[in-house]
Amino acid sequence: MRFETTLIMALLLFSVTLIGVIVARPEITVTRSGKIMAFLALFLLPILCAAMGVSSELERSKTTKFCLSCHIMEAYGQSLRVDDPSYLAAAHFQNHRVPADNACYTCHTNYAMFGSVKAKMAGLRHIYVYYLTTPPAPENIKLHEAYNNRECLHCHLGARSFEEGAVHNADPDLLQAVKANKLSCISSGCHEVVHKVATLNAVKMWKGQP
Amino acid sequence: MKLRENRLERRLQVSGILLILGLLSESLCLLWARPLSFLGLVSVGGVLLFAGMVVYLVSLLAIRVSPQETAGRSLQRD
Repeated sequence: MRFETTLIMALLLFSVTLIGVIVARPEITVTRSGKIMAFLALFLLPILCAAMGVSSELERSKTTKFCLSCHIMEAYGQSLRVDDPSYLAAAHFQNHRVPADNACYTCHTNYAMFGSVKAKMAGLRHIYVYYLTTPPAPENIKLHEAYNNRECLHCHLGARSFEEGAVHNADPDLLQAVKANKLSCISSGCHEVVHKVATLNAVKMWKGQP
Repeated sequence: MKLRENRLERRLQVSGILLILGLLSESLCLLWARPLSFLGLVSVGGVLLFAGMVVYLVSLLAIRVSPQETAGRSLQRD
């Protein structure tokens, strides 16, 4: 159990105990200290517990483990372990270009204003599709909208390997087109192999720990 | 456990029970690390906690001073 969760559980236990005392002996609220205790136990602590609980859940929803807890995402989890540097997601995950614990979220969140909120709303839509409709096969899962280069440039913009890379500078207009999101980073002929889950059975897997 | 006859104490007990149920459901959601747990936390836990706090606040607002008590206070002031 994470330290944060343990802390919240301790606070929940403390709150439940205090509330239990008030439920068992409500007459203690006649005194001034009883009133203060009731305000603490029946109002302030529940707000604190709820806020900490929601915050903890939101943080947990960013973890790779959380994303891969859905059966349909297992193939995408496996694609992070492909032993081939041309697989974009695998290369990022295995070389810690993204935090291994938050790998999915780091690339699939939206780095614009309210991006985290949009990412959470998309997550709710995933839950709806997964539980209330017939979800597509893993290889048929598509992004809601075309992948925006902004998400790549969030890290790569200004990096020497990106700005001065031979391939990126072979055509003088290429970098400008990429930065303006006119040419996708994952377009054909560039970094087009991302997860490619349809052919995972035919590739070698990396056995190491990220 | 019986609910008290006194209206204020009964409301405090109802509020406490709702809050305990809300906090217990929150703890279950925190221990169950699945995508549905967040929905459970917000829908079940959140609603119970909100209801419990509303009952508590209503119980505070609903405290009325009886007419005799009001008369007694005004006499003391005079």
